[in-house]
Amino acid sequence: MEKSTIVCRCEEINIEEIELAIKNGARTFDDIKRLTRCGMGPCQAKICMNPVREIIATYTNTPLEDIPPPRLRMPAIPVRLGALANGVEDFKESSIASVFGESVEDGDEQNDESV
Amino acid sequence: MEADVLIVGAGPAGISAALTAEKFGAKVILIDESFSPGGQLRQQTQYFSNLPTGYAPDIGLKVIETLIKHLYASSVQVYTNHTMIGAYKNGMIGVTDGNKTFPILARANILAPGAQEEAKIFPGWTLPGVMTAGAAQILINRESVLPGKRAVMIGTNNFAFTVAKQLHDCGVTIEAFIEEKSQITCSDGILRDELKHVPVWTESTVQIAQGTGQVERVSVHTPEGRKEIDVDLICISNGFTPILEPFVIMDCELTYKKHLGGWVPLYNEKLQTTNPSCFIAGNAAGITDLGPILLTGEIAAISALEEIGILNSEEAEIERRKRWLELEKLENTAVCQARKNLIASSRSRQSPLTKSK
Amino acid sequence: MQIHIHPVLGEKFTEEVTFYFNNKPLKAKKGQTVAAALMANGIRNLGTSRKFLQPRGLYCATGRCMSCFVTINGVEHVLSCMTLVDEGMKVFPSNEDPDPGSEINGS
Repeated sequence: MEKSTIVCRCEEINIEEIELAIKNGARTFDDIKRLTRCGMGPCQAKICMNPVREIIATYTNTPLEDIPPPRLRMPAIPVRLGALANGVEDFKESSIASVFGESVEDGDEQNDESV
Repeated sequence: MEADVLIVGAGPAGISAALTAEKFGAKVILIDESFSPGGQLRQQTQYFSNLPTGYAPDIGLKVIETLIKHLYASSVQVYTNHTMIGAYKNGMIGVTDGNKTFPILARANILAPGAQEEAKIFPGWTLPGVMTAGAAQILINRESVLPGKRAVMIGTNNFAFTVAKQLHDCGVTIEAFIEEKSQITCSDGILRDELKHVPVWTESTVQIAQGTGQVERVSVHTPEGRKEIDVDLICISNGFTPILEPFVIMDCELTYKKHLGGWVPLYNEKLQTTNPSCFIAGNAAGITDLGPILLTGEIAAISALEEIGILNSEEAEIERRKRWLELEKLENTAVCQARKNLIASSRSRQSPLTKSK
Repeated sequence: MQIHIHPVLGEKFTEEVTFYFNNKPLKAKKGQTVAAALMANGIRNLGTSRKFLQPRGLYCATGRCMSCFVTINGVEHVLSCMTLVDEGMKVFPSNEDPDPGSEINGS
């Protein structure tokens, strides 16, 4: 297929860019994400997840089952900041920060796997 | 908001789970991101006959209409336009209605987000007019809108033929099926026969889709050389894969099972994931047919009620076994076997899955 | 194009509404999504991609791909496949990134 074919619709990353990232050492979707922004647009890799995994599989000659999906982060869909902030004062257990899975006061907690 | 059981996703699995949990006396909240319940069954006009006891064979959207009628007659609290977007540190699921974000406190969660269609990339696949087969089916059967006049279908699986037939019945000309394999993969002989006038280009791939502002023509690599046709609709039917993000958010372990649709959350015979508070139902637990989808909803509900003590273990075990036996009868052998393998692999896994009773 | 008489479902929608796309009045059926209402009027190009400025339209119709973003009544990046059309609704294509500082996008 044409190397200029778009794989990630949101960030408009093509096959060539993904292959270049793999050539530079990327082995997982998350590696490719960090190097290219592939999968970091509004759909958050929901659509390109498997096309990218297939490219990694072909390029590195790895079975598809050995290539995990990318880390899917909160929020699961794009949310307006107003909607995210609105409603939290009603309950004490949490704050807007933990909606994102991150704690502002504590910094990066190593036990917070949901980050 | 508080409930015994929170169910995420009001498709057939979620509604089946909600009605089962309610029947056994649980207080249930059911949320769905769409403006109406029913999930992807809302646009299925084909006939479903392999259904569990208690269901009358009918076209998909009539099956779901009946379920929705029962749902609204029950005590289940249904919230449409509500999307699960995350989890709070204490394990509560965070939901937004677009205006505010809030937690739903439930003693057990059943996640039934369903499946999504696999993409298929080719030059020009981002053009307007290129869409999944499921999107075209939504347009004709749920929205009463024609997505185009002349179409090609990429893929020849059962769903590709189902949607092509429904598009054809609505007046869309299906110019060709484009299949990269050497033969048609659709196993439904009647369906294939109904569309035998449509050429099937095997060992073929899309070279490029082109057009100004939207798709106007498609070039296809075939063994006989390059074929170019004018189309205003390109449908992609490349199979389904479980929707994973609610499970990743809830820290559920994933595993790979090709026959279940790829990456799928790990679960035991109770349909309990590796997060003991989260149960799984429907296509998210492996791509399957409507009968098994409805049954997984019931099994997940029974297990969730056992987990929170509304059902005792003996009762739950009897109810669950009954449904597993029925599911085995209804489900495609390869899918059922993959499901058994998945459950078996969950047994060999260390706690908390095995620890939870 | 609207399907007036569906081969299986007959006439599904009856009530008509008027909405606007780029200020042009268009007819749709109450109960349809904005994406479908636009497609019924022959409008498939719903926006422009951010990097290469390529046309985008409905792709998954299930609220996952975000390709069908439009601006509705001043609110940018609204999923047209998940939003029901309403009388008097003002719809514009999604041609650039939203302004995060704007009053309406924040609230």
